[in-house]
Amino acid sequence: MGFGQFLTEPEFKLIIVTHRDVFQNTAQENSRFGEQYAERSSVIRLDKDDMKKMGVKAGDLVVAKNASGRVVLKAESSTLEQSHPGTAFMINGPWANALVAADTGGTGVPAFKNIEVMLSRSKGEKVTSLAELI
Amino acid sequence: MDKGPFVCTGCALLCDDITVDLQDNRVIGVNTACLKGVSRMKGCSSPMTCTVDGKTVDVDTAIKEAARILEEAKHPLIFGHGNSTLEAQKKSIELARELGAHIDDTSSFCQGPLVEAILNEKIPTCTLDEVRHMADVIVFWGADPSHSHPRHLSMYSYFPRGKQRQRGWEEDRTAVIIDVRRSDTAAVCGDKLYEIPVGADPEFMDALLNALASKVPKTSFNMDPKRILELANILKKAEFGVVFAGLGMTYSLDSLEPLFRLMDKLNETAKFHLIPMVGQYNMRGFDHTLFRETGHINRVYFGGEEVEHGPQRSVVELIRNNIIDAAMIIGSDPLASLPGPLAKKLSKIPLITIDPCENLTSRISKVTIPSALSGVECGGTAIRMDGVEVVLKQIIETNRLTDEKIIARIMEEI
Ligand code: SF4
Repeated sequence: MGFGQFLTEPEFKLIIVTHRDVFQNTAQENSRFGEQYAERSSVIRLDKDDMKKMGVKAGDLVVAKNASGRVVLKAESSTLEQSHPGTAFMINGPWANALVAADTGGTGVPAFKNIEVMLSRSKGEKVTSLAELI
Repeated sequence: MDKGPFVCTGCALLCDDITVDLQDNRVIGVNTACLKGVSRMKGCSSPMTCTVDGKTVDVDTAIKEAARILEEAKHPLIFGHGNSTLEAQKKSIELARELGAHIDDTSSFCQGPLVEAILNEKIPTCTLDEVRHMADVIVFWGADPSHSHPRHLSMYSYFPRGKQRQRGWEEDRTAVIIDVRRSDTAAVCGDKLYEIPVGADPEFMDALLNALASKVPKTSFNMDPKRILELANILKKAEFGVVFAGLGMTYSLDSLEPLFRLMDKLNETAKFHLIPMVGQYNMRGFDHTLFRETGHINRVYFGGEEVEHGPQRSVVELIRNNIIDAAMIIGSDPLASLPGPLAKKLSKIPLITIDPCENLTSRISKVTIPSALSGVECGGTAIRMDGVEVVLKQIIETNRLTDEKIIARIMEEI
């Protein structure tokens, strides 16, 4: 047990943009409860410089939270060539949705593709499971 | 047995050239479909069982219990519909009327606004077949069909040799993409990717409008005005242009006015159409059906003296404001697709799930009734993303009831 566990991890403000993914969708058609569906849905793709700044490496676990929810996700580096500091990407699914606010300003349309979160490194937690989400 | 071709219900492209290999009344092979379509048509690995309170029961018992829940509720909601045939959707609306219930579908937080604008003739549209044969300028806006509708580009929008586009994508078609990221679809568009910040779609629409009027287009994100003028030039010259509007665009528009202005301007010099990138295979079908019956595409309440409609009648606001006290979900998984805080709220009221497969919502439902997978285990009709009606054929036999039949049986019990 290191001293580090008593320190709070620094938090970074990010916008998560969700998108579709044919492989996750295919896995979902087969089963919502399959490993593949969970694996693909619980990854957050970060800008490479943001990762450096946060001290996060590909494969590390991170905590994303806001007033709506809190999930532990696996961080991966963005597959995009161009940099996109401050923006992260997730495949649309229950993990990303856990962070979407219920308040829609009366429009009835939640901000699924524009989710503001605080991100920090996870300390010894596991990726949030589907069971924990429901 | 019919040898096909069959229609894939994996997404609202409703590809109609599918053949299958069968063995012992099971689909063991699916030809020509994309990955997702194959997975859909082969059927899921976790079919739903018929249950009440988690215990396996016969269909009659489950139907009776569903009827009881709906009857006893003061404010029942019927929701889903995107994966049901037109016939089932009609029945569902009938049931909602009879119950004085709330009814909504996934378009409520998806492509509803665009479908509504098209049905009210505020945006010119066209069919995918016209796109295949005539389109020379194709704009993907906030859309990534390579993932959402994998055969979109090969069946209709980019690669085909169309009647008037015999030289295909190499010479006859220009694809442009406007998005917040370099998606896989962007790879096809080469240097015609216009990357904009999250939520900047209305601003970019206005910049384009300026460029189309030969004014210098300025943006707060400093996109090179020359590039925007170049784009305006491509759009102006279109013989048959089409905008495929994805959720990236729809979610960024608080109002459709900037889009209306842009479409009007484009149509002063060129011919431009818009097709919404509808996800679920028959979401648009529900919107058409309810529109015909009530003048509204979604978010309707039948419990008042007159039909009520509006954002306060949307599935999201109904759950958020604790209005509904029971819900019947057909072919949808709101627990997976709604914001987490709303999913939690929804799980507190009695739910009835009708679906071929187990999903998050079915796991916490009081009643689950397995239904036939449309386009595989039952036929029917559906409306493609471009508004064209498509006939679905049954491929294999099943003893599971269709959505339509289940709803009809529930109505008999009430
Ligand atoms: S593109 Fe859509 S309709 Fe066509 S095969 Fe794939 S999932 Fe099915």
